[in-house]
Amino acid sequence: MELDEFRASLDRWLEENAAALAPGSGSAGTLDAQMAQLAKVKRLAYDAGWMRWGWPERVGGRGGSSLLRAYLGEALTARDLVEVGSYCMTEILTPTMVDYAPPELAAAMVPRLLRGDEIWCQGFSEPGTGSNLASLSCRATRTENGWRVTGQKVWTSYAQYAARCVLLTRTGSPESAHKGITAMFVDMDTAGITVRPIEAMHGHKEFCEVFFDDVPVPFERTLGREGQGWSVAMDLLPYERSTSLWHKAAFLHRRLAEALERAPSGALDPARLGEVTQLLYAFRSRSRATQHRLAAGEHLGPETSIDKVLVATAEQAVFDLVADGLASEVTIRDDARGERWRAEFLFSRAATIYGGSAEIQRNIIARRLLDLGTEP
Amino acid sequence: MERGELDLFARTLRRATTSHTGEALDTALEEVGWQDALAADARAAVSTLFELQGEAGAASSALDRVMIDGLGLDIGSKAGLLLPALDRWNPPGELDGGRLAIRGLGTAALPSRKTAIVATRSGDRDVAFLVATSELTLRPVRGLDPWLGLVEVSGEVSGTGGDSRRVGWAPAIARGQLALGHELVGASRKMLALAREHALQRVQFGRTISTFQAIRHRLAETLVAIETADAVLGAAWEDGSAQTAAMAKALAGRGARTAVRHCQQVLAGIGFTTEHALHRYIRRVLVLDQLLGSARALTQELGAELLRTKKLPPLLPL
Repeated sequence: MELDEFRASLDRWLEENAAALAPGSGSAGTLDAQMAQLAKVKRLAYDAGWMRWGWPERVGGRGGSSLLRAYLGEALTARDLVEVGSYCMTEILTPTMVDYAPPELAAAMVPRLLRGDEIWCQGFSEPGTGSNLASLSCRATRTENGWRVTGQKVWTSYAQYAARCVLLTRTGSPESAHKGITAMFVDMDTAGITVRPIEAMHGHKEFCEVFFDDVPVPFERTLGREGQGWSVAMDLLPYERSTSLWHKAAFLHRRLAEALERAPSGALDPARLGEVTQLLYAFRSRSRATQHRLAAGEHLGPETSIDKVLVATAEQAVFDLVADGLASEVTIRDDARGERWRAEFLFSRAATIYGGSAEIQRNIIARRLLDLGTEP
Repeated sequence: MERGELDLFARTLRRATTSHTGEALDTALEEVGWQDALAADARAAVSTLFELQGEAGAASSALDRVMIDGLGLDIGSKAGLLLPALDRWNPPGELDGGRLAIRGLGTAALPSRKTAIVATRSGDRDVAFLVATSELTLRPVRGLDPWLGLVEVSGEVSGTGGDSRRVGWAPAIARGQLALGHELVGASRKMLALAREHALQRVQFGRTISTFQAIRHRLAETLVAIETADAVLGAAWEDGSAQTAAMAKALAGRGARTAVRHCQQVLAGIGFTTEHALHRYIRRVLVLDQLLGSARALTQELGAELLRTKKLPPLLPL
């Protein structure tokens, strides 16, 4: 299917099914409600076929360009039907399964994620392993019957809802750095896994600590080969910095438009408003070019760090503007609208921290794009 | 243009921009058929030439051709074009009764032209007059960047003559802003290259300064600023909107100021001398930022427009 045709038919479907897709009014604003809404929208979009376009047929997709799924996420986000952070886990984790999972595992599991039957999480960071991912120490030991995993992860988004985890473990010696890492696909209901949600500054418990105490993982759940985990992680990161960022652009555009509509007269400084709009359009232009490179089959690499710097800059700029333009919503209003603006403003503070901090992105740009050599 | 054709075109233009400037570059561009390329594929012709011109620190009157084409006039015209005054993007002529008051700038070739095209607003239309340059006061500008060869122009002529034609000012400005945007990007890339080269050679505390994170991050910031502008320039060519072209020019101007700040700091003492090329690029981008609307003024105008309409500009679809 071509993008133009996809766009037109999807827009029509979204309009015709607006009532069924709309979030329920009940417990709006809670993380439970957000995840229930995500599952509902994915299910409806999967059953109507939309959710399957852009993914290979061997994992239950219908093939076609990755631009199709980029547009789907944009359309859902721009209508506020899904929360962009939780929706993008599909974009981040599915390519890993397509590229590294044993084919029968990918074929069995990916449809569950696409259909919204399951939520998955990504077990990368650890208490002692933030920016320095290659230093991770959550250990997987080889036994006759499979891996046994012991260790701890942290900042694992949605782990309390997750049925599966794409987990990075240390299988080499502690000094093996990026060479001794192995990725695996773990069932979160396995005995020995404990999840403790952490309440973040924006009021949601979306990040978790995950403890592994001698957790068995079958060998068939290894993603890629033993010791190939670093490649799995490095191939995943460009996805984290491509399609899902396009969806973020749609979200930021909607919020900036709302702020512009709702800000009381005189609350927005024209120069600042102009600059924030330019930044957002720049980020979106950059991300658009990246989507087209991805769709053309180009391998995405370190240049996506520029996209990541731009999304973080644009997100914080938009919400800094919101904090001025909608000051009463952000600071003193206690209704649902105020709560939402406040949560999103506060969450934007983390944009330069998660998914590779602003400093790490600049290190990558310096080393890989400017070829300045390694740091001492 | 196809990939191979474009590479060849770029190589030819690079030879021209690195060996000539001013009148000689205009002649070289004529010889390689740059105007034909402009007529055939404006995006390729403008983006390639102006980025290379920025990188080489060369000057030409190609901006006249780009804007004359944008006005909808004959690209082969022997006339020069009157640019708006510093930091302005409205037409340089103002009709008042029967008189056309003129205040603007010209590229270096203007004094050698017999006539200049002067656009003005007439009622709800944009029109252009062909004015004899002998009727205008032309002041060659030294200013911050004497190598650019700008000319300051003023005068007053009869505005009732039959020699006026309907033109499109907005597309001309948009094209001109894109050309300057590419030139700013080219100059910024050159400043970054100069700073990078220095950082890899300069040794302090027993190591090259390129190993210090403070230096690396400044250079990374510079690249981000350049790519930011470049991305919007690309989007502006695709969506063809005047508003996106203005955003691209503003981002290129601001990006160049960012490049100036970081590259000058990295190049430090040597970059503060006239023995190093950096100062030429700093001068150039500060002046280019002021042509057809500075980053500051265009950004302010965009914000004011958004507050008037309460609507964001349309987005280029995926």
